[in-house]
Amino acid sequence: MKLMHTKLTEFIEKMHNAAKHGKKEKSVTIRGLENLKSAKMQSLRTGRIEDAVTDLAEMENIDSVEVVVIPRVPETMHTVLVKGKDKDGKTEKIVLEVINIIHPTEEVEFDGCTNIVDHRPKIGLH
Amino acid sequence: MRYLMIPEGLLDGKIIPVTVVFMFADEIEEAGLTQDEAIIKVAKEFTGPVAINIFDKNAITTTSDGLVVEGAIVRMGAADGGKVNEDFGILPMAEIPYSEERIKDEPHLIQWKKLFPERKLFRGPDPAKKLIPVHNVTITGRASNNNSATEMMNIITMEELIFPILGQLECINDGNVIVGYTGEEISVGIGMTVAEQFGRVFPHPQFHAGETAHNSGEYAKTLKREIPCIVCDKKVIAEKTIRALKCGCVPARELGCSPVVLSVARALGSEIDFDRIQPSAQAELDSVGCTREWMHEKLNLTEEEVIARADELIPGVTDGKKHKVSEIVFEKELVI
Repeated sequence: MKLMHTKLTEFIEKMHNAAKHGKKEKSVTIRGLENLKSAKMQSLRTGRIEDAVTDLAEMENIDSVEVVVIPRVPETMHTVLVKGKDKDGKTEKIVLEVINIIHPTEEVEFDGCTNIVDHRPKIGLH
Repeated sequence: MRYLMIPEGLLDGKIIPVTVVFMFADEIEEAGLTQDEAIIKVAKEFTGPVAINIFDKNAITTTSDGLVVEGAIVRMGAADGGKVNEDFGILPMAEIPYSEERIKDEPHLIQWKKLFPERKLFRGPDPAKKLIPVHNVTITGRASNNNSATEMMNIITMEELIFPILGQLECINDGNVIVGYTGEEISVGIGMTVAEQFGRVFPHPQFHAGETAHNSGEYAKTLKREIPCIVCDKKVIAEKTIRALKCGCVPARELGCSPVVLSVARALGSEIDFDRIQPSAQAELDSVGCTREWMHEKLNLTEEEVIARADELIPGVTDGKKHKVSEIVFEKELVI
């Protein structure tokens, strides 16, 4: 399984390390994973994202790299657990609900840049 | 080729979160464009977020509470920064073929049979042909054109506009609209749906007349209360509701039990199927004053009186101001 999926902590570490391959080490910031405490990241894509970070970090006119993670499909479905706890913190009742969240698509992150290389497979062809 | 637009910004102090564009299927065809090409082309006219709706004025559609009305959105789009997202930016509505079986399954469509059997019917998209799992929505960047093009949002500022189909039809027909805040009665009424295949909000028949999709008690009235809206003149919805009632439709049986539908039936003194109003729906209606006692107070007005007194009799919209459409909708030229 180690080969198939990457720990969240390893993913973050790998992104920072990927920016050390150029003549000058570039700083990397990661946005969009702040709410995740534990997760397994797809390894195949982890390698490709590392490759993209290195590609950009090796460019002379690039000073820093930002990795932004947003939902590929801009509506995500979430289970909501409404928990009632007693005075000792023991969970006494839970109501399960669902909520669908609508997100902006990638255009909001383009910053006016037109040099965009899209490596993503079409939806359904992943 | 012409298009109509309402610009993003402030209107009567209310935030219009995206520019709204109306285009017309027949004019697009005459211009030699596909509807997708027209959406992509008009998107380039704007740098900000845009909702783009293409109308077939000869088709028909339904309101959420089951009124059949003339004119339908056949394709919707969302654009931002002059772009239309390749995956999520455009969505066509599905044509619903006419059949006796369909009218039996969706009894509010007796209006279709009696009034416009020759016209095509469009509501929401075919769920099998869309990539976003739940909402009937197009999204590009900040712009979201949601619930089959009747709720437009800027997802970054999170501001929203409720733009029901009758309000949009007034805009393309140079009629009259009210700009205001949605208010509690419409917030409740939006949930009083009829069950439809490929509906504007729900892809499959789900919530029948007399039920509530919201099912959230006194919270239902707060869900959309403060959101700006552009709705039709109340005389228009009075006329359309009276027409539906005259086709044999009854609130909570063929039509949804929204405060608007109930208000018109009460004013006329016409039948309401009380037994089919579910307790969860009644609880939401009670919260906005549409109690059983209120429903039983039949006013026995004439159709003409109900239409003339529509502003007084039909609830919904706070801080509203009437406008001639020419005051808020602008015609522009798109060079092909």
